Amino acid sequence: MKQQAKFSQKQEHVVVQQSQQAVKEFANADELLRFDAANVVLPPEIAQRLQKSAVQSHPMEWRRWWQSLFGRG
Amino acid sequence: MKTLMNEPMISPEIAGEVSEKPLSTQWTSAELASLYDEHSHAIFYLSLRYLGDPQKAEDATHDVFLKAFRRLDQFRGEASIRTWLYRIAINHCQNLSQSWHNRNVRSNADDSVWENSVARTDSPLRVLETKELGQRIQKTLDAMSDEYRLLLLLVADEELSYEGIAAVVGQTADAVRGKLHRARKAFAARFEKTF
Repeated sequence: MKQQAKFSQKQEHVVVQQSQQAVKEFANADELLRFDAANVVLPPEIAQRLQKSAVQSHPMEWRRWWQSLFGRG
Repeated sequence: MKTLMNEPMISPEIAGEVSEKPLSTQWTSAELASLYDEHSHAIFYLSLRYLGDPQKAEDATHDVFLKAFRRLDQFRGEASIRTWLYRIAINHCQNLSQSWHNRNVRSNADDSVWENSVARTDSPLRVLETKELGQRIQKTLDAMSDEYRLLLLLVADEELSYEGIAAVVGQTADAVRGKLHRARKAFAARFEKTF
């Protein structure tokens, strides 16, 4: 058991080292920011809030917009 | 990319509070949905990195689209819809950031120091931990001037050409090219210091 624990500790250390050594290179700021943008997820709550914001004043129009966006009522 | 007819320059009204105007009547609900689908990520990303706060970016994206949907009938189509949305978003974010900064922070961004830095600005930007990349980028952008930060965020949008960026910021494409060259250098120099 002791040996096993030692072994897995050693393995973990190697994995960490490997991930730290994985250098990612970007040619310039444009490329770096494009990578960053691609990794940013748009929160789905925004569309829900948009619908809520206007549904009271323009119920029919917004309901149709909502249905078009999400395919449900 | 869809273009619109009758697009005006951004008025102070657009930058202000969301009005209670009715939705555009010339646009169908499917078109509004497609507009949101196509451009919401770009507007959210700009807001996120400009404001540096996910919650504020969420609020800003919501407000920008609400304003846009209510004003679609008024555009002249001299630029793309993306350009127009960016103008609304920038105005909105600048207002938010100005009021917040006026209350809390005294800016000391001086990009000229970094433009002339002897750091390896022509070398590739190296990143070890991509999970911390967002924080480093945010830290770098926060330390830059408003103008450079904005230009870099716009050039990160592959759908925008130099002419497109020029249309968003109201400058010539040559001016944008020159400023972006300096902004990239300043970014690279600052980014290296964010370890």
